[in-house]
Amino acid sequence: MSEKPDSYEAAVERLEQIIDRLDSGQAGLRETLELCREGRELVTYCSTELDAVSEGLEELRLDELAAKLETNPAES
Amino acid sequence: MRRRARVSLIGEVTGLSRSKAQAYFELRDAEGAVPCAIWLNELEKLELPEQGLRDGAEIVIGGGPDYYRGNSQASPSFFFRATHIRLAGEGDLLARLEALRKQLRSEGLFELQKQLARPALPKTIGVVTAESGAARRDLLAGLRRRGWAGTLVWAFAPVQDRRAAPAIAGAIQDLAARPEIEAIVVTRGGGSLADLWAFCDETLCRTVAMLRVPVVSAIGHERDSTLIDDVAAVACSTPTHAAEAAVPLDCDAARSALGRSSAALRRVGEGAVGSRSRHLVALARGPARALRRERIALNQKTREIRASSERSLAERRAFQRRLALVVLDRAVRRAAGVEANSRRDALRRAEVAFRAHDPERTLERGYALAEDAGGEPVTSVAAAIVAGRVRLRFADGGVGAKIDPEGRAE
Repeated sequence: MSEKPDSYEAAVERLEQIIDRLDSGQAGLRETLELCREGRELVTYCSTELDAVSEGLEELRLDELAAKLETNPAES
Repeated sequence: MRRRARVSLIGEVTGLSRSKAQAYFELRDAEGAVPCAIWLNELEKLELPEQGLRDGAEIVIGGGPDYYRGNSQASPSFFFRATHIRLAGEGDLLARLEALRKQLRSEGLFELQKQLARPALPKTIGVVTAESGAARRDLLAGLRRRGWAGTLVWAFAPVQDRRAAPAIAGAIQDLAARPEIEAIVVTRGGGSLADLWAFCDETLCRTVAMLRVPVVSAIGHERDSTLIDDVAAVACSTPTHAAEAAVPLDCDAARSALGRSSAALRRVGEGAVGSRSRHLVALARGPARALRRERIALNQKTREIRASSERSLAERRAFQRRLALVVLDRAVRRAAGVEANSRRDALRRAEVAFRAHDPERTLERGYALAEDAGGEPVTSVAAAIVAGRVRLRFADGGVGAKIDPEGRAE
């Protein structure tokens, strides 16, 4: 995998395809190693995505964000 | 005045209060309001549903003008004396709702939101709801149950009165303007159709339909159907369901699944190399085994061949020996024959030679042999003088002779 997946779903779908292919036992050694490498990259990507929604729920208020935007427009 | 014609009015109840004998309220619509009152005993006879007459309820009332003449502490006043109340006909509202629904559907506005891609794992979600209300709490609980702990941006807005629809539309637009917001949830608890009417507002629904961010609506309960549900990307029956729709991925399950996938990859990756290397080792052993087998077989063959060749050699030797003997025998025989002949020839030659030298043969040719008394040949004059007497041997016999040294010839 040289490109970043389009989405988490796409990454998981590809990951499932890879595992199915590997489980089939039909992949040769070279293909197996390449699939494993791609799979590990996908796992890393998915893990990063999951981590982004795992570090504690943050609650913001739109009116406060809007007020902040008005006072510090450069931060937007 | 109390005998004036009876009329029916339709509007929304506001400012409902009760005294010991009467219920007071204003009947309001977009144009204004009319103060109304109804005797409680008459209200009870109407057998309205529980909480049927309450603020915000859309009702149709029958009655006529009445007045309060006032007293020393209270001013007189005119009001509408209701003698009959029915919940506005949901029929009336429903008819308007259906007409609007038909209109929006014909414009294709129901499909726009549904065509938007909804991220399985949004990191930031905007929420439009009442600041105080069970919906907010339920949504939070639903998100936590999902294992989702991203960023929520609350856009609090009134969700029931006349100000609700424009405030909600404004909040949705403000949320959608923030690029980090990947999904918007609009939610409020259950209520009558009149309570939820703000969510059937045409402007609000058109705003939602045209939004680029997917909107999840959860208005009222399952049986409630508002127009915003039709235009939204997903319509849910409760805030809890809205949480699941806003975060389609069950994060806890996804974490477990990812762990399993990761382990499966590791196992397959290592296994692929391991099993192949074992296979390779087995293959590498294969030739050695085959060689050993071949070597054993070869040794066996060699032994057999050696044994066989020794046997055969012995037999051959024996045969050759026999053959040699025969040949030798023949050769000997042949050789023996040759030798006998040659010997015979030699013998003959010897015999001839011998006979040539035989004194007898010489005597036969006329020679005589002088012998001394001992029979030894006398071969010189001196020996004859010494002997004095000799025997002369002829072929036919011998005679004695006396040596005359005087007769010696030179």
